[in-house]
Amino acid sequence: MVDSLPGMLLFAEDSSTAVLVTFLVYMLGVFALAAVSNRLLQKKSFLSEYFLGSRSLGVWAFALTFAATSSSGGSFMGFPSKIYTHGWVLALWIGSYMVVPICTMGLLGKRMNQVARLSGSITVPDVIRDRFHSAKFGLLAIVLIVFFMSFNLVAQFKAGAMILKTLLANMEFFLSGVTAFSSATGGMSWLQSPEGPSYVLCLLVFGIAVIVYTTYGGFHAVVWTDVMQGIIMVVGVIIMLPLALGAVGGLDNATQELAKQTPPYKGTATLVEVIPESQPYVLPAGAWFSLPANGDAKPRLFRTTKGVSVSADQSRIADVPILEITTPDVVKRLLTGDSQVKAVALEMRLRLEDVKVEKYKSGADEPGVYVTGPGPSPTDPNGFLPLSLAISFFFMWAISGAGQPSNMVRLMAFNSSRTLKRSIFTVAIYYTAIYFPLVIIFTCARILMPGMEGESDRIMPAMAVFLTDHAGVGWLAGLLIAAPFAAVMSTVDSFLLMISSALVRDIYQRNINPEAEEKIIKRLSYFFTLVVGIVAMFGAISPPQFLQDIIVYVGSGLAACFLAPMVFALYWPRSNVQGCTAGMLAGFGAHLGMYVTGMFVNGSFFQPYQLLNFDPIIIGLFVSFGVTYVATVVTPPPPEELVRKYFYRKT
Amino acid sequence: MNSAPIPESPADEYDPVFLHSRREAAIIFGLWFVALLWSVPYCYFNGFGKYDAATFETVLGIPKWLFWGILVPWLAADVFTTWFCFCYMKEDDLGEAHEGADLAEEVAEMHAAERKEDRD
Repeated sequence: MVDSLPGMLLFAEDSSTAVLVTFLVYMLGVFALAAVSNRLLQKKSFLSEYFLGSRSLGVWAFALTFAATSSSGGSFMGFPSKIYTHGWVLALWIGSYMVVPICTMGLLGKRMNQVARLSGSITVPDVIRDRFHSAKFGLLAIVLIVFFMSFNLVAQFKAGAMILKTLLANMEFFLSGVTAFSSATGGMSWLQSPEGPSYVLCLLVFGIAVIVYTTYGGFHAVVWTDVMQGIIMVVGVIIMLPLALGAVGGLDNATQELAKQTPPYKGTATLVEVIPESQPYVLPAGAWFSLPANGDAKPRLFRTTKGVSVSADQSRIADVPILEITTPDVVKRLLTGDSQVKAVALEMRLRLEDVKVEKYKSGADEPGVYVTGPGPSPTDPNGFLPLSLAISFFFMWAISGAGQPSNMVRLMAFNSSRTLKRSIFTVAIYYTAIYFPLVIIFTCARILMPGMEGESDRIMPAMAVFLTDHAGVGWLAGLLIAAPFAAVMSTVDSFLLMISSALVRDIYQRNINPEAEEKIIKRLSYFFTLVVGIVAMFGAISPPQFLQDIIVYVGSGLAACFLAPMVFALYWPRSNVQGCTAGMLAGFGAHLGMYVTGMFVNGSFFQPYQLLNFDPIIIGLFVSFGVTYVATVVTPPPPEELVRKYFYRKT
Repeated sequence: MNSAPIPESPADEYDPVFLHSRREAAIIFGLWFVALLWSVPYCYFNGFGKYDAATFETVLGIPKWLFWGILVPWLAADVFTTWFCFCYMKEDDLGEAHEGADLAEEVAEMHAAERKEDRD
C-alpha cells in the first residue's frame, strides 16, 4: 500500500467520521422510504402507482421531486466549479433560473396533467400515442426516449460515482475501503476500470443503492427520496451562506478582493526530491511549492493539480501538472500568512524545476476579469460567456427544461391544479434560495481557498469542510457533503424509471400484450427496472469518453424532439399526427445536424457547429416548431372525435 | 378514424381548462421573454468589457451590473410568480383519471377487428 505524505490530507479526522455517519444515516433513510413505498404498491393500481404514484402528489412531494430531479449533480459540483473558475459572470449564466420554475411547470403542467387523466396515460409516449391515436407516433417517441435516456443513464451513473469518489477522496475510511476492495477484486477482470478501483467501488455503492430503492419502491420511493434530498440541498446552502460571508469578512470585501485577482497560469514542472524517501508515496493534488525571489523577480507560488505516485527509487518526476498563482496580493498572503506555511514546508523534501506555464486564452493578467463579463477562459479567446452564449443559456434552462420528458412525467403526477399553483411558487422560492446564494458562496471560495482551479470539481466538499472547521462545527460537513450526492441520486432514479416504464408499459403492454395480467406486468416492472439499472451500471464501469458532453447532447436533443410536438398537441386543436411527427423528426435531425457538422468543421462531434453563434438547442427548437406548424397546415385536419375528446367541453 | 374537418365552433364550446391553460402558458412565455430582454442586454451593456477600478461599483457587495441585471429581476420574477400563482392562475378541475382507458379502448378495437376478420 502507498501512503499519502503526512499532513496532506484535506479532511480532518472529525470531518471524515461525520461524513461516514451522515452517509450511513442518509442511506438508511432512503431504504426506509422505499419500504414504505412498496407497501403502497400492494394497495393501488400497480402500473399507475409504480410509474406515476397514482397521480396523487401533493405540494411538497411534487415541488421537491420536480426541483430535485431538475437539479442534477451538476448544480452542486459543476456549477460551484464554474463559479470558482470564472467568477461573478455565473450569475448571468444561471440567470434564467429566475423563470425556470414557472416555465418548466407552468407552460405545460396543467394541460399535460388533464390530457393524461383524460386518456389514462402513464408515460410520455402514452400521452403522444393517445392524443393522436397513433401507435406509430407513440413508437417513435419510445425509440427517441430510450435512445437518449440510455446514453444519459450510463452517463449519470458515471457522474454519480465520480461525485462520490470526489467527495470521499482523501478520507481515511475510504482509502482503506478502496485498498480492501482492490485486493478482493484483483482477479475479476470484469470489475476493472480504466478509472481505477476507487471509481468502481463508488459506482457499485451508488449504483446498487439507487437500483435497489428504485426497483423496490417505484415512483413513490423516488419522489420521497427526492423530497429528502431536496431538503438536504437547500439546508446545505442556507448553512453555507452565512459561514462563507463570515469567513470572508462580508460580501463587499470579497468582491473587492476578487476584482484584484488575475487568472492563474497553467503548465507543468519537474518535481525533484531533496531528501530521498525510502518508501513509495502519493503526493496528492493541491501541494504548494514556491520559487524564491531572484534579483528583481518576485517569489512565485505554484500548486500541483493532479496527484502524483512516487516510487521508492524515483528522485525526479517530470511533467507534473501545476498552476501558478498570479495575483501579487494572494501570493504575498499565502507566503507570509499562517494558513499555508505548513504546506510550503514540503519544499524541505521536494522542489520544482523546469517550470513551463501558459496563460489563459482570455482574461490573463487582467484584474477585474472575475467581476465583469464575459469571464476568463483558459481555452476560449472570446471569454467564458459571450453574448450569444448568454442568450443560449436563457433558452437552455427555461425553455429546454420544459421540453424534458423526465419533467413532463412529473407534470402528470400532481393531484390538482391547486397543487400545481402552490408548487410553482414553492419551487420559485426554493431555486431563489439555492442558486444565487451558490454564486455568492463560491465567489467567496476564490478568496478563501485560492489555487483550486486544477481540481475545481472538489471545491464544494473542500469548501464545506473549510467553512465548518473555520466556524468550529466540523460535524456539519457531513450534511453539506451529502447535498451533491443527493442531487445526482435524485436525477438517476427518475431516469431509470423512465426507461423501464418505456419497456414495460409502452412496448410490452401497449404493443405486444395489451391483455397481460397485472401479476405479469408487476413482475416485468420489477425485472426491467432491475435489469436496466444493472446494465447501465456495468456500462459505466468502462464508460465512453465525453460523458459530460453526452449529458449536454441528450438534454438539448430531447427538448428539440419533444417540446414543439407537445406544445402543439396540447394547445392547438388543428395539430395532427403528421405535423407533430415531422416536427419531432426535424428537431432531432436539425440538432443532430449541428453536431455532425461540428465533426467536419471543428473536428469533433462534441464541438457542435454554432450557426449564427447559437447553441444547437436553439436551432433544433426553431426548426422543430417551424416544421411542426408548416407540416400541420399542409396536411389534412385531425379526426373530429380526437379534437372533441381533448379540446371540447364535456357534456 | 374519420378525417373530418373541425366544426366551426364558438369559443365557449372549448374546454375551459384548455382555454385557461393556453392563456396562462402565453403569459408565462411572455414573462420569460421579458426576463430575457431585461437581464441579458442590461448585463451586456453594463457588465461586459474593460474593468475600471475607479468606476466599478457594488450594491450590497454584488457587482452593480448583476444586482440590477440579475438579482432585482429575479426578485421581481418571484413577485410576479407569487401573484400569478395565487391571484391569476385558475384553479381548474382536472377531472378524474381514466386509469386503463386507453388500453381498454385498444383492446376493444383489437377484438372488434378480430371479430370482423372472423366474419369475413
